[in-house]
Amino acid sequence: MSEQIEADVTVDARGSACPGPLMDLIGKIKNVDAGTVVELLTGDEGSKNDVPEWVEEAGHELLDTVDEGEYYAIYVEKS
Amino acid sequence: MTGYAIVLASEEIERVQAVSMIASVAAMSDTPVEVFVTMNGLNPFEKAAVENMDFEGGRVAQAMMEAEDVEVPLFTEQLEQARQIGPLNVYACELAMDLLDTDLDDYVDDVFDDVLGVSGFLNRAKDKQIIFV
Repeated sequence: MSEQIEADVTVDARGSACPGPLMDLIGKIKNVDAGTVVELLTGDEGSKNDVPEWVEEAGHELLDTVDEGEYYAIYVEKS
Repeated sequence: MTGYAIVLASEEIERVQAVSMIASVAAMSDTPVEVFVTMNGLNPFEKAAVENMDFEGGRVAQAMMEAEDVEVPLFTEQLEQARQIGPLNVYACELAMDLLDTDLDDYVDDVFDDVLGVSGFLNRAKDKQIIFV
């Protein structure tokens, strides 16, 4: 059983199509301190694959991607 | 090479959205991007076109306009957001505007940094990978 991740800040991009969720996530991460855990809520299927790609390239840490049924919760820790 | 210089000469909304998406995410990821909007590429940026959502396009354009359960961020919003956060400059082509007899006031706010001629663009594109759309 995986540990429940507690986010410091939530970016709710549900209802927004690609690349809205990714842009919202990037914008938020740029504004927080290192070590902050950002939770991205997105119903966009493309984000599930695209966000991890960006996270890896940008050097942050992808903590988890949780399927919540109608949307995904993606947890990223800023490096 | 330090980033991309994108020439947008097409007016189809799919191409404009693609350029805006790629330029915006690249710039927000700290990759420098210069966008030079020229020829028919200027048409979708007119205030009237944006207000009336009056764009040229095909199947994907139609799907964008008809999307109900998701909101597709328009190229204007993407570029505006990205310009605030990353190294993105967007220029309107001086020659095309002369031909059209338009000025920056005819185009949507908060998207264009300036009017630029071809020499100005080539100077800014000198160290960048050029993408022509």
